[in-house]
This record gives sequence, C-alpha cells and structure tokens, in this order.
Amino acid sequence: MKHSKTLSRIAIALVVALGGLMACGDPTPGDGEQAATGEPLRIAFIAYQNPDQLLESVEPVAEYLETAIGRPIKTFAATDYAGIVEALKAGTADVGFMGPLQYVIAHQQSGAVPILGEIYDGSPTYLSKIFVRKDSGIETLAQLEEKSMAFVDPLSSSGYLFPLETFIESGLIASRQDAEKFFRKIYFAGGDEQAIRAVLNKFVDAAGVGQYSVRLLRPEEREQLLAIAESRPIPSHCVVVRSGLDPEVTTALQTALLALNEGEHHGLLKNLYAVDGYIVADDDTYAEVASLARKNGFLK
Amino acid sequence: MPRNARHTASPSRSDRTSRALGVLAVLTILVASDPAARAHIVPPQQLHPVATSYRRIEFLLNLNPIPWDSVNLDLATIAAQLESFDAAGADDLRKLGRETLARVASAAKSEDTMLAADKRRLIAHRVLSRTTRTVARAIRFDLDTARANLADYSSASDHFERARQMWAAFEPAIEAAQPAEFVRLGECWLAMVSALGYPGLAGIGARQPDTATFHEESGEIVEYLDANFIDQVGTQTLGPTLARLAPLPGVARDAYPPGQRLPPGFNVNKQIPRPRQILGMVTRGVDERETPLIALGDMAFDSALIFGEPARSLAITCNTCHNKGVTNPNFFIPGLSRIPGGMDVSNSFFGAHANNGIFDPLDIPDLRGLRFTAPYGRNGRFDSLREFTRNVIVNEFSGQEPEPMLLDALVAYMLEFEFLPNPALEPDGTLNDRAPAAARRGEALFNRPFANMAGRSCASCHDPSDHFLDRKRHDIGTVRGAEPDSRDRALDTPTLLGIKYSAPYFHDGRLATLAEVVDWFNDRYSLRLTGSQRMDLSAYLETVGDGVEAYEDTVYTLASELEEFDFFLSPYELLVERGETNLIDTTFGTIAFEIRAHKWDVQDPANLPVLDRLAGLMDRARAALAAGDLSTTDRMVNEYRALYRSNAGILE
Repeated sequence: MKHSKTLSRIAIALVVALGGLMACGDPTPGDGEQAATGEPLRIAFIAYQNPDQLLESVEPVAEYLETAIGRPIKTFAATDYAGIVEALKAGTADVGFMGPLQYVIAHQQSGAVPILGEIYDGSPTYLSKIFVRKDSGIETLAQLEEKSMAFVDPLSSSGYLFPLETFIESGLIASRQDAEKFFRKIYFAGGDEQAIRAVLNKFVDAAGVGQYSVRLLRPEEREQLLAIAESRPIPSHCVVVRSGLDPEVTTALQTALLALNEGEHHGLLKNLYAVDGYIVADDDTYAEVASLARKNGFLK
Repeated sequence: MPRNARHTASPSRSDRTSRALGVLAVLTILVASDPAARAHIVPPQQLHPVATSYRRIEFLLNLNPIPWDSVNLDLATIAAQLESFDAAGADDLRKLGRETLARVASAAKSEDTMLAADKRRLIAHRVLSRTTRTVARAIRFDLDTARANLADYSSASDHFERARQMWAAFEPAIEAAQPAEFVRLGECWLAMVSALGYPGLAGIGARQPDTATFHEESGEIVEYLDANFIDQVGTQTLGPTLARLAPLPGVARDAYPPGQRLPPGFNVNKQIPRPRQILGMVTRGVDERETPLIALGDMAFDSALIFGEPARSLAITCNTCHNKGVTNPNFFIPGLSRIPGGMDVSNSFFGAHANNGIFDPLDIPDLRGLRFTAPYGRNGRFDSLREFTRNVIVNEFSGQEPEPMLLDALVAYMLEFEFLPNPALEPDGTLNDRAPAAARRGEALFNRPFANMAGRSCASCHDPSDHFLDRKRHDIGTVRGAEPDSRDRALDTPTLLGIKYSAPYFHDGRLATLAEVVDWFNDRYSLRLTGSQRMDLSAYLETVGDGVEAYEDTVYTLASELEEFDFFLSPYELLVERGETNLIDTTFGTIAFEIRAHKWDVQDPANLPVLDRLAGLMDRARAALAAGDLSTTDRMVNEYRALYRSNAGILE
C-alpha cells in the first residue's frame, strides 16, 4: 500500500446535515406535566450503530433535560460526525456530542464551542498507547522502524493524531509524512478493535489505539499484548454548542448535565455513552489538540 | 470497556461499526455499577449475524446429537441477511434447512432409533458445504461490488464492510487450519480498508481510493474463497471449514486440541454481584490458611487445570457453573444448554468419550448445604460425593484421573458449604412468627395430605425436619421415559432451602418461578387449590427458600480474590511434604491464571505491575518445579507471599 500520495480531497458529497439526521419522536411532554415552552433545543447524538436504538436510549435524558431546562428537547441521531459538524454549522442542530479532533474542526468551520468534557474512569483525559505482541521482542518505539503499523483512521485523535505525535516526540520521525518512510507499511484498520486485533493476530507489528481498546479483548488475549509507549493525555469527548446559541440556554444545559454527576438522576449517564460524569470545558481545553491538528494539516 | 472506541473522528462505516459494537458492549455490561469493578467480565465479541450463525452452525454440526432445529434457525438467519442481495442464495439456504429436517426425520424413522453416525455426518457435511459456499459467494459479491464502486465511497465502504464482517465466519477455521494464510489474508483486508479511500470530515483528512491496491488485495481474497470455499466444496478436497467437521464414523474423537472456541451466544461469565458463600469453618472463625485440605479444595474448585480439553483451554471450572458454590443462572452454551442456567453434562463437546448421545440438559444445582443433600446428581445416581466429583472431572470434563488427595480436598471443601441462615425457620423446619402470614397459611397447605397424591403431602417428600428432602427418588411426571412403561423417570428430591435464589426450577429448569412450580403441582395432581391458596403456597416456598444476604454487597472483588489466592498457596508445605508435585503445579498454574484473569479489575492501574509480578512469580515457581529445582520453587513461593502481604492493603 502506498500512502505517500497527496491527500487530495475526494469529491464525495457528504449528504448529511439535517437530511442525514434522524429525528426522534415529537418530544411534547405528556398531559399533566409542566409543558416546556419556547423554541426546542435540538441535540445531535452520534449513533455508532443503530440510530433508533440510540434515540430510544436517550429519551429519558431528553425528558430530564426538558424539565431541567424548561424547553422542549428535540433529539437527532447522526450516523457520522460529519453530520453533526454540518448540522451545527448550518444551525439545524444546537448541541452535538463529538470527539476532540472533530471538535477542533467544527470550531474552525462554524465557531462551535465546547461546554463540557466527559469524565471516564475518573478522568477528563485519556491516553493513546502503542501496542505490540509480547512475543515480538519489540520493546521500544525505535524497534518499529521498517515494521508495519496499524492506526485506527486518519481522523482519529487516539488512533492516529496522538500516537503519531508520540513517535515525533521520541525523535524517530519529524512529521506525519515522515511516518510513511519510517514504517514499512501503515494501515488504517477502520476501528479500534480492528486495529488492536490486527496486532494480536500478527497482521501488523504494532498499533496505535486508545488505552481502553484492550478491554475489547478477552483477558488471555490482553496478556499477549504489551504497551511500549503512551501518548500525552488527550482531552476527552465533549458536548459542543453551535455558535450563537442563547447563553442562558447554554448555561442551563451545562448546569443540567453537570447535575448528573451525582444525585437521583446519576443513572441517566449510562444512556449518555456510559460516562462517569462531566466537567466544564472550553476551547482552551482543546488547544493542544488544535495545535497538533494544525501541525498535521487538519486545520488551517 | 472500549471507551476509546468513541475517540475517533472517522465518518467511515467500518469505524462507525466497530465503535458501535464497542459502545453497545459497554451498555450491555454496564447496568448499575462501576465499570472498573467488572472489567474482567468480557463482553461477547460482536459479529455480523451471518458470521454468528455460521460459526454456531459449525459448532452445532460437530455435536452428537446434532440440534437440527437450532441449525435450521441459523440457516434461516443467514438467509434473511442474504435476502436483499442474494435472493437465490437465501432461497437455497431455506430449502436446505427444510430438506435437512426432512432427511433427519426420515432417517431417524427408518432406523427406528437415533440417527446413525454415518448418516448424521453425511447430512452435516452437506449442510456445512452448501452454507459455506453460499456465504463465500456473498462475500465475493460484496467485494466485487465494492471494487466496482470505489468512486462512490459510501457504497463501496458499505459493501466492503459487510464482506469483512461476513469473512469473520471463516476466520477461526482458517486460523486453526492454515495459520500462515490467516495472517496473509488478514493483511489483505487491512490493506483494503486503507485502499478504500477516506472522505474525511468536511473534506479534511480526505484520501482518494487506491484502485490498484484494492483490486490486487481483493483479488487475493476472492482467489482464496474460490479455491477453498466455493470450487472445492463437495469434492474430496476439504476446505479448512469442512476439515473441522467431526471425524468419519468409526474414528473416535476423545479429545479436542487446545484452542477450541465456544459458539457465538455463549455466556460463561460469573455473576455480579457474587452469591455470598458461607464456609462452615470460616463462620466459626477458622483461618482457611490453617485448613490446608480445604484450601486445596478451594483452589481445585477454581481450577480449569483439573479438567482436560476443551474445558481447560476455555477456563471452565467448577466455579463457572457453581459460582461461589451456588449456581450460575447466566451460564449458556448453544447446543449444550436449552435455557440459561443449565447444560447437558453428558455431551460430545466436553466429554466425547462419556457422551450418552442424548440431549438432556440439567439445571445447575445450588451446592449450598451439600453435605445434607445426598444422593448426588439430579437423578441421585451417585450416593457418594467423592464418586460424583470424580465423574465430573474424568468423564464430564475429560480430566486426568485425579490424585486421591485432590478428591479428598474437593470433598472437604464442598462439605463446608452452608445453607444461608433463615431467621424465619425453626430448627425443625417449621416457620416461626417472623414468617409472613401468607407463608404460614401456605405451610398448612404444604403439610396437608392430598388424596390425589396418594394421601401424601408436599412435606412427605420435602420433609421440613430433614432439610426439606427425603433422600429418595420419585417419578412425579417430569421426565419423558424411553418407552411407555420404562422405569427411568425418577429424580432425587431436591431441598427447598435457598430456592428463592436458584431459579429456574425442576431438573431441566423448565419453570421460571416458584408460582409456576405450585401451578404445575396443582395441575399435575388435580389439587384444586384456589388462587389464594396457590399464592399462599408460593409465599411459603419463597419464605422457606429465603436467606440472609444471599449476595455480596460489593462488586469490587479483586482484594478478596487475591486473599483467596493466598489461601490457595497455603497447602504448599503440606503438598511438598506429601510429594504431590502435580498438585503443586496445578496450584501455581491456577493462581497465575486467576491473577491474570482478575488483574483487569484493579482500580488503580499503577498497581498492575504488582499483579504481573505476582503472576510471574507463580510462573517461575512452576518452571522451577518442572526442572526439579525445589529450592528456587520455595524461594518463589516465599517471594510471592511477601509481595502479596506487603501489597494486600494497597490492593484493597
């Protein structure tokens, strides 16, 4: 495989925006409840697989937010991040859930800003790790020269941007383009599980993936792998609001989601990608991601 | 938990799917407790329905008897998946299912007995070869379509991703039979993902498809499919999948090689929260480290090394089915279980040599109070717990003949299993005033003789004064006999103590609730109980079957597991003195395996190296033992103990 080609853009119409989003049922409150009034707050969730299932699972969250914010909530499921970014840009969604790299792109494209970061395993950051097989004899990044490497995909924070930076920081490569020469082959496996299984199955010598990928493996499979390096901390996924959203609504949403960190509604978090909780975030939280994205040509 | 599955920016379908699977897995395993506490509970690998059903069919066709109805259901599942793009293939699979059921029925009828081995194998071969060819063609179709549509990323990636997911159907067979090919072809698929191109996000990060590479790599896959799964099927040259079918009749398969997998849909995870185990001597304040025989039994109960293949590689232990000496209502293996919480223990997978050729799954019994509940086995076939245990090891799970000391130890351990305390019960089994009124009304019914039960009462067999059993076998009509007047229907009377926590009920787990049990007896014996009487009788069973703190209140189990491994190691000196080298080896191997299985539950990842060192010390002790270097073995054991003690507090 050759990866040294110019990364010219593909003329593929990402027909997403609102047309690519799936709307949830009319979120009108039932009789007897205090009706939320005003313009609905439109929240776009990323559905990794089944949009209907996702919308069903976030329904209790929407109900909670309606009561907490006092506005009707309309939920959408986008099947890819482009849909959310486009919807925020077009003003057809007010709120979106996304990863750090998507956020910095969305910010540049539309001025969207993050209001909350997710906490997972007690931390608002996570790591990318470079995994090899224990029986490969590889113990250092330098030993990966002329070896094959799997990343997750070209727009992944923990599965490309940060592990690449780990190699750059170690002085083994100077740039993204350099990586093409350093490794014998670079593959984009198309997913975290595919990438880590590619190492396990000996399809590649190493993989750069998020730290939790190993949890997709059985314990005896995990034992066969070794992390030889880890990235600097990556700020976690975030809740992003579109440019121009009423600051009062933004604050109310932020407060309502932060209130889930404890108390009677804490259980709703399992419907929100099973995070532990939220922490206040802003554009500065993602400054390093933006800087890396710029350095690698993902941002102007 | 695959949290990182979300930390990517890709709009690619393959990525989306993998992340979806990850997140779904997360949602599956997260119910109400901290994920870190259950990190060792591994979510099932998520596969495309075609791969799921294909892999299951492959497993089922190797069983004896083959569950043809299940095979037919999986054929229908594959057909439904193929319908939209390969209607002819889907029709063929449905036809295959119908024909197979008809053939099986006809063959069984003509032989007036079970389906003969040679015919069974012929039919199985036919089913697997036609299914294989159809799935292989579906993969080829999707790859060809993706190749033809590379300019349209959305279409190409959809077809490619489905092909890749269906390919997972064949992966275990290829990996087992042709490991080098498995790696080569795996690389082809990886190369294709990159060659598909990438639309990026709002144009950023976009890559053009690499048509030449995609053609080349997909060509390799298609060539392999043609050669191994399409053209060769039905001929004498068996592809890797067909080669995995059971040997020809006359060739006994008495052991599986290591590395067997359970079929998709299995669940052998332990329960969370864990059942509360009460060991008699611990309740009396005895330290398990001072009861070496019991500690050895505790270790063996948790050890897959006392079994043979395939249980050993699959980490199946006594504790898998009898979590903490109780039951495991989640346990399920397609083809071996009818419903969760049970298994056919005389099957052709775990103990082919001792298979009885009949699909007769049993509900996993609760082992609490085991010393009071002889005879053993649902039909009371073993008077001795020792003989029963030996049969489990040697015949049900293909283990080596156990050392006498191992059997003594397992028995000593299991004899310590106490019933849950039940404050509503007097020593003679009567209810006291702590029992609800409904239960006390139910008690009167329980003791009332019924004419339709030959003047006997429920209490005649479930004698309250003797742990609610009579140690006899009775035919109450739950077993279908081999022939009309055969006398093979009797089952051992089970105790009622603890039954609130051991659903489902009856020897085969056919009834889900105690209320259904009451209804069953009411109908079976025409007892003519009123609705309120049946409720009272159910309340009685619920009360008798209740107990204090049936489950542990914490989901954090690592500290207690590590303490248990310290118990496991406590018989070391005794075993050395007795010259029980095999048992020492089993102890080391079991501790090392268990630490590695549970180390993912550690709450502070900074402590992982300690756990690795503990497991490593057991590995080294085992190696030294094998080399006859007993002084090093001693040293490793002492280092392990010292390391554990200095870290026990930290690992809490």
